[in-house]
Amino acid sequence: MSSLAVYVVAAAAVFGVGVYGLIVADHVLRKLLALNMMGSAVFVLMVAVSGSAQGRPDPVAQALVLTGIVIAVAATAFALALLVRIHHDTGRVTLSERGDDDD
Amino acid sequence: MTPELLVDVILAVGLVALSLRVVSGGELFRDIVVFIVFGLVVALSWARLGSPDLALAEAAIGAGVTGALMLMAYRRLASRSGGASGDRSRRLRLAAPVAVLAGTAVAIIGLAALGIDGASDSGGAAALAALPATGLGNPVTGVLLMFRGLDTLLELVVLLVVLLGAWAMMIPGPPPALHLVSRDTPLVAALLTIAAPLCVLVAVHLLVVGADEPGGAFQAGAVLAAGGVLLVLTGVLRPSREAGPVIRLAVLVGPAAFVVVGVSAMAFGRPVMELPGLWAVYLIETAMMISIAVTLSLLFGRSGGFRRGGP
Amino acid sequence: MSLSESIGLALVGLGCVFYLAGTVGLLRFPDVFSRLHALTKADNLGLLLVCTGLAVLEASWRVALLLASIWLLGLLAATVSAYLIARHAHHAGAAGRPAAEGERP
Repeated sequence: MSSLAVYVVAAAAVFGVGVYGLIVADHVLRKLLALNMMGSAVFVLMVAVSGSAQGRPDPVAQALVLTGIVIAVAATAFALALLVRIHHDTGRVTLSERGDDDD
Repeated sequence: MTPELLVDVILAVGLVALSLRVVSGGELFRDIVVFIVFGLVVALSWARLGSPDLALAEAAIGAGVTGALMLMAYRRLASRSGGASGDRSRRLRLAAPVAVLAGTAVAIIGLAALGIDGASDSGGAAALAALPATGLGNPVTGVLLMFRGLDTLLELVVLLVVLLGAWAMMIPGPPPALHLVSRDTPLVAALLTIAAPLCVLVAVHLLVVGADEPGGAFQAGAVLAAGGVLLVLTGVLRPSREAGPVIRLAVLVGPAAFVVVGVSAMAFGRPVMELPGLWAVYLIETAMMISIAVTLSLLFGRSGGFRRGGP
Repeated sequence: MSLSESIGLALVGLGCVFYLAGTVGLLRFPDVFSRLHALTKADNLGLLLVCTGLAVLEASWRVALLLASIWLLGLLAATVSAYLIARHAHHAGAAGRPAAEGERP
């Protein structure tokens, strides 16, 4: 098993764990942690796969992932702003199951 | 097993173990800290995968800024535990199978892609071939600024839109003070006098070497934002509701510089977004660094602007 | 293997031993203060040894200078954060009593 394959398998496992966490978590902060881990897993996968040809990661893939990391933190920041506002307005830190207001 | 492969396996096992720890549902504060550790292990993995640029970005942005944002939100939410919501049992029953399915699908895609030999005419190969003509030594900076400049510009626009969204979501009334420790506390004053200037020094260093070595505007901006976070946490800067003219200018200067230089290329009969030379790369990267740093600091402070804190 | 290589590797290995000791202390010690004690003392020495070892291996003044500044920054960060955690624990009255599950070590 090559080093790249090790990272591909680890990324897939982390992605699965992230999906599990996203579904199971009640607290939105926890869902965001899981979502961020899924993102990191995809980034690792992309760079590991792009490195298979030349022996070093493709610069376009690296730039794409660098962009992705920044967009991920931006999306997280916006989600947290929404969450803090929702908590301020409703006192809740969870999402209702079917979009209905079950308070 | 070679020592290199052993290191990779240890890192990979660490990644999976830490991610399991994050979702296993202990105390939320602890899980956020473990998530930050996860980000640092991802950064080490980037270094092992041959991408120091991404290692720097992950450590500064992925682990650092995201972790700081999470911890600040945790504090704002007063550590309320989420109560059960709706029909939880069905969700829990489905979770494990769905997760296994998703992980297996990703593994199959990844391992299949690993088996494909990359095309020799890929974008990456073209970028590497065209790099010497640009005068840049770091291919990632080359792609970000020279070859895929529009993507990078739009990324800055996304950051700007996020800031506007966060401003729209701001809680009415004056923003609460954020500082956790007074700068009069012993040692904290010493930390500030050493760490704040060092943040600027390291950021400028990352920016300058980013042309040829690992580094660049995003990493530099994140380091500068870390300095901003430090100033907010120690009360040197206090959040204010309104953005002053300096803040507005700082937030806009990155995308504005990119657009002005990119579009003015047309006046000289060159394609849009083609940068006229290395000076333009440095100019745009400096403007980007300022915008990124100020935007991230404002997102952390959840504030419109900053004013100087009292003693 | 040359003499400088063996010295460098030995220093890095010794540094790792200190890191291990510090981590064991963090996990095994009963309260916040002794945990901090184990962590900061052992890890700062471990970092010094690892940095020195790497500088010997690299045999370049520029790298040695960079590694020295990394160590000094590590010292600064460890000192201030350990002080702040200890201060917080002291105010919270955690002195002497065992760290509860989930308490920040």
